Amino acid sequence: MSSLKDIGVHVVHVGGNGNARAVLREVENLLQKLVEKGEESSIDLSGLPLSAEDYDLLEETLGEGEVVAEVHSLGPTRIHETGVPGVWWVTHYNDEDEVLAEFIEVAWCPEILLAPEDDVKDGLEALRARLFELKQESNHG
Amino acid sequence: MSAMELLLWARGPGLGIAVAIFLFGMTLRLFEIYSLGRKTDLAAPRSPTPGSGWRTVFSRSLPYQGTWHRSGLTVITGFVFHIGLFIVLLFLLPHIKLIHSLTGLSWPALPTSLVDLVTVLTLIALLVVLVHRLMDPVKRLLSGFGDYLAWAVTFLPLLTGYMAYHHLLLDYTLLLALHILSAELLLVVFPFTKLTHTFTLFIARWYNGDIAARKGVAS
Amino acid sequence: MADETLLEILKRRGISRRGFLKFCAATTSLLALPPSMAVAVADSLGRLKRPAVIWLSFQECTGCTESLTRAHSPSIESLIFDAISLDYHHTLQAASGHAAEEAREHSMKADWGKYLLIVDGSIPLKDGGAYSTIAGISNLQMLQEAAAGAAAIVAIGTCAAFGGLPHAQPNPTGAVAVSDIIKDKPIINVPGCPPVPAVMVGVLAHYLTFGSLPDLDDLGRPRAFYGESIHDRCYRRPFYDQGKFAKTFDDAGARDGWCLFELGCKGPTTHNACATTKWNGGTSWPVQSGHGCIGCSEPDFWDAGGFYKALSTPVDSVTGAAAAAVAVGAAAGVAIGIANRQRKAQARAEHQTVTIEDLEK
Ligand code: SF4
Ligand code: SF4
Repeated sequence: MSSLKDIGVHVVHVGGNGNARAVLREVENLLQKLVEKGEESSIDLSGLPLSAEDYDLLEETLGEGEVVAEVHSLGPTRIHETGVPGVWWVTHYNDEDEVLAEFIEVAWCPEILLAPEDDVKDGLEALRARLFELKQESNHG
Repeated sequence: MSAMELLLWARGPGLGIAVAIFLFGMTLRLFEIYSLGRKTDLAAPRSPTPGSGWRTVFSRSLPYQGTWHRSGLTVITGFVFHIGLFIVLLFLLPHIKLIHSLTGLSWPALPTSLVDLVTVLTLIALLVVLVHRLMDPVKRLLSGFGDYLAWAVTFLPLLTGYMAYHHLLLDYTLLLALHILSAELLLVVFPFTKLTHTFTLFIARWYNGDIAARKGVAS
Repeated sequence: MADETLLEILKRRGISRRGFLKFCAATTSLLALPPSMAVAVADSLGRLKRPAVIWLSFQECTGCTESLTRAHSPSIESLIFDAISLDYHHTLQAASGHAAEEAREHSMKADWGKYLLIVDGSIPLKDGGAYSTIAGISNLQMLQEAAAGAAAIVAIGTCAAFGGLPHAQPNPTGAVAVSDIIKDKPIINVPGCPPVPAVMVGVLAHYLTFGSLPDLDDLGRPRAFYGESIHDRCYRRPFYDQGKFAKTFDDAGARDGWCLFELGCKGPTTHNACATTKWNGGTSWPVQSGHGCIGCSEPDFWDAGGFYKALSTPVDSVTGAAAAAVAVGAAAGVAIGIANRQRKAQARAEHQTVTIEDLEK
């Protein structure tokens, strides 16, 4: 029986369409803004027509940095700093590990890593409540 | 009416109507011209005529020295836009597909970018021709409504085609519809203006060449 | 519960603010908005009340609902659908028959003037609308009643948006689009046969997020998804420009991924998100799998000539008209020719020769 492999499919590499370069230029601009004015910004990669080659070129040029982080909320979000400090690669996944959205963030720290103020306040209260409970327990014990 | 409906009309009933009027008009014209006939020339020809008519059909395409010197601009722009029209009309793939679907004939296409360049040259040549017609007192005097109409219906398909390809100003669907409609306008106007020279020029040149030979000046 | 905002719903489901941030980022991306809009998205999501939605299905094949239920990004989509209360959907709801119709009428009354009406399928008008009825009510009547109390209408799929397959020649049921009947309500057309799932979700998400209509083109389609043609975003475009065309579906050119124009691709005149959003969770899309675009998101695409005929070729055959024209032209030419000859002969006959006598008179 003939297998799938026997079907003549010729894979051609159309080559990058130049969009990787455009994105890199944009990153350069945004980074300059961050340095000069402290403005943070990001680029949505899902909406751009990037070919596989473009994508590879983008990843290669930006490289790998020192930080790798993962957030677990509504499925994992994986973040790594690229070889260019201040440029972060942020990928949001759903519970089934499919990509929901992908961004390049230019920031001192990606927003999603910062603890939200309201959550911190809630946390403080929860901690105080816990301490109070502990105190009660030790009093009774 | 949306752009898509217009396009469908142009590709459907519109094309049928335009082709029908064009073929009706051209057949009518040719029959009319041929049936006028000429009296047989009873005099013995001064020089042998065979071939002279045919040679004239081609030789008249080349300008005489005098013409060349007197109106070089007309000659150059004339050549550019005629050859350009010919290339654009017959060697752009979508046009070949159209001709194929109408007649079953097909041939290889030229790269789109080349046809694009030729279109620009043709458009420029046509504009120069128009400006010259308006500026030159003699030409202006000789020109009537039919001449400007013929110019416009030739220019419009090229312009709309170019705009459609480059997505200029309007939505592509609408531009494509306008392009096809303008070409259909050309077909409709064709048999009833000087544009008929596309076909009648061969008859006229042959006759002129032949009669000249009979009078002793074979080409 | 109906007064909860989306943020509150998310909180109740134990989703943290980080999760909310992520939700907003993904929604912004889904809506094809710039990332800087995420703040605005978050802001309006935090304020917006849960809107009621009524979904009516008329002359349709259920393909649109099939497509929608296969939307990618399940968690985002399910959150959005948690956020709306889908009060009535023939195919998806458990109730049926008169119980279902009662539910519809009930929720229509409860949210009169505020609910979002989603319609898929075209509406038959011929013979008093007898060709499609639900619980004895004609589609036309049901649409008019439901539309009267709707804040806005979303026409999902080419049938609801433009008439689609039922509207194709010779249109035996007299099918028309929603916009042919309803003139006094905002209508968002989301055509496609079926529409790309992410586009449907995106359009609904936009309405939920901002509570307003997205920017629409002249056919009522959201520009964010239908703003560009397939051809403009097609990765085979360089081949089109170079004049490299596949001649058959399995020649060397086809295998090398050359342009499918000659094989009937309608990409140049079709506006849809396929080329960038793709299908099946971004796996591929029709042109990528080697078949030309058939123009499914445009009006009357069924009647636009054969799917496999090049866009520049005629929709109908012109041979008959051409032959007739030549015949009539020839006949007329001959008739004029004969008339001309007669005129010549007559002129010759009437020609008065001048004689010496005449001159001496
Ligand atoms: S395959 Fe279709 S959409 Fe793609 S470039 Fe060719 S004609 Fe355009
Ligand atoms: S490629 Fe064209 S026909 Fe196919 S789904 Fe997309 S818009 Fe419709």
